[in-house]
Amino acid sequence: MPLMTPSIGSQLVDLGSALLLLTCFAIVAQRRLSACVDLFALQSVFLALTATLVAFLTGIHHIYIAAALTIVIKAIVIPRILKKVIERLNVSRELVMHINVPASLLICGVLVMIAFLITQPIISFGHLLTRDSLAIALAIVLIGFFTMIARQKAVTQMIAFLVMENGLFLGAIAATYGMPLVVELGVFFDVLVAALIAGIYTNRLQDAFDSVDTAHLSELKE
Amino acid sequence: MSDLPTTLAVTLLLLAPLVAGGLSLLLTSSRWLHVTNLTSIGTLVAAEVMIARAVLEQGSLTAFGEIVYIDALSSVILFIIGTVGLACSLYMRSYMDEQVARGVIAPKRLNLFFFLFHMFLLTMVVATVANSLGVQWVAIEATTLTTTFLIAFWRRRESLEAGWKYLILCSVGISLALFGVVLMYYSSLRVLGDVSSALNITQLQQVASQLDPHILKLAFVFLFVGYGTKVGLVPMHSWLPDAYTEAPAPVAAMLAGVLETVAVYAILRCRGIVDQAVPPDFTGGLLAIFGLVSFALAAFFILLQHNYKRLFAYSSIEHMGLAMVGFGVGGPIGNFGGLFHLVNHALAKSLAFFAAGNIHRRFKTVEIDEVRGLTTVLPLSALALLIAGLALAALPPFALFASEMQILTALGSSGLPGEWTQPGTRFPIVVLLFCSLVAFGGLLYRITGMVWGVAPADIVSGEQWSVGHVPIILLGAVLVGFCWALPPPLQQLFEAAATLLVNR
Repeated sequence: MPLMTPSIGSQLVDLGSALLLLTCFAIVAQRRLSACVDLFALQSVFLALTATLVAFLTGIHHIYIAAALTIVIKAIVIPRILKKVIERLNVSRELVMHINVPASLLICGVLVMIAFLITQPIISFGHLLTRDSLAIALAIVLIGFFTMIARQKAVTQMIAFLVMENGLFLGAIAATYGMPLVVELGVFFDVLVAALIAGIYTNRLQDAFDSVDTAHLSELKE
Repeated sequence: MSDLPTTLAVTLLLLAPLVAGGLSLLLTSSRWLHVTNLTSIGTLVAAEVMIARAVLEQGSLTAFGEIVYIDALSSVILFIIGTVGLACSLYMRSYMDEQVARGVIAPKRLNLFFFLFHMFLLTMVVATVANSLGVQWVAIEATTLTTTFLIAFWRRRESLEAGWKYLILCSVGISLALFGVVLMYYSSLRVLGDVSSALNITQLQQVASQLDPHILKLAFVFLFVGYGTKVGLVPMHSWLPDAYTEAPAPVAAMLAGVLETVAVYAILRCRGIVDQAVPPDFTGGLLAIFGLVSFALAAFFILLQHNYKRLFAYSSIEHMGLAMVGFGVGGPIGNFGGLFHLVNHALAKSLAFFAAGNIHRRFKTVEIDEVRGLTTVLPLSALALLIAGLALAALPPFALFASEMQILTALGSSGLPGEWTQPGTRFPIVVLLFCSLVAFGGLLYRITGMVWGVAPADIVSGEQWSVGHVPIILLGAVLVGFCWALPPPLQQLFEAAATLLVNR
């Protein structure tokens, strides 16, 4: 493969990671819940592509399995569950935000810088191919974390959690070419069950509160 | 290393909750559900005793080709899981039946409860015996998933809210811990090469001193924050009081007694590896500072509580903080005290939640001000509440007094680790003593108010003897007994575990 010299390969991996980060920003900026789900599915596809690329370039086969599972679980099954949940809801948009969109984007920008700063001392130990993706992965985790705090809808919070998981997965690929297979399978299982449980919860919350706005969840206070 | 009896014991340990969980889904009669439950937990305890004996003889054991790794530290945690699990199962015998009789739970949903309970036990056992840090992470995240519906089991608005909050906060926290696991793997791969066993504790311990300190520091911060959320350390504690208030009493006892302990265990495991490459003051300082802050804040929150379940929840944060101070300060006394405190807290907190469950069923309220005259209404539960309260306030002759004294002694003699304070500063110990005084006052003031006084006229008086009282009496006796003398095998086990924790 003359085209696939390490430097081109590593640039492609960087491109994939950057696309993941870009979808993160899009999710933060998006108010429509169903569009958020679509963006999450798109992000998972990018993740799977990046993983496949790494698997192809390194010849490590178990990453293919992880990539396939990403497509099936994160790009198809979980978005479907979330779409079903949204159909049942009476609100399709994130109406009130703790932090408005421009400020959120600005904060996310700062988070990206922080991620690069934190990983600077350890990044030089990594594989040449995926070196820069580790910082991007941490940035995605931090943005997911922030979205969780900044948004109120149960569905958005769930998506933010899944975005964090995507970031972690990218981190695992970047740092170590994936975790041991049994751990990866366990993580996928946990994420799937978490999504199912969150789906059930949203239904019950909808029944009990007539809303999935977590701001209504304020009966338990000091 | 892995001979037949221990392999058998480990198999039983893992199979008992798994099989019981599967059976629970098929069974419909409450009687058989309880029989399955008690058989399974009995098997679990028997397997644990066998394993503990093997560990005392051999130091550590592995099974199934290094998938399972058990040493003295994991044995102590297994001991806590078994004891509290058994106590809860006995208590559930009367508690759940009464809830079904009162129509709070539809009889059909009873098997769901038992299924989740067994899965909860299973995930905790797996988290304790797993050799791979990755599998341990998966199991701890699975505990979140199994318990969230147990917390929301009453399906009231408040319980749904508490369950959701718990699910989201703990999942997020745990995700951060996964990043720590990834970093751990990152550092070990550089030494071990590309092998799938590079996350195994047995492998990591051998090469720990060669791992890169920068990566390990970062990894430990993520792991500590992640698992610390599950422990309920301030400022990641906000899910905890809600979850404990809304969960059914036996579940609250399991959460407070066992789940927190397993999360502490996960932190200690990682610490054992990180400490060999990084100066131990780094991890010790983190643990001690977060522990001290949790202890101090929770002590003041205890003063503000009007709800007795929340009172116990904040007391959990307080005691976990104290145990963390013990581990953080380290040394033989600090580590032994920390472990012993974990055990005692688990026992005392189960007792407290059993008493709280009995009171809640009779008074139908969690408000402290509306509960009066327990000595006439529920004499046995009043005694249990008083014992639990005195024990949690760390008064002699209860075991928590002994362990708290050990932690205080360790702190007093070596001070906080790291550069946080000058050597010989009295400040942390003064803070600790003052805050324990605050917590002591808060707990006793609230509890004596509930125990004595004139009972409201519309509450039926009298308490009938039931199976649920057996664990209450046993726990009370053990709490007093442990203050005076530990049975020699337990003492050996704790000492072996504390030695493992002392930095080499």
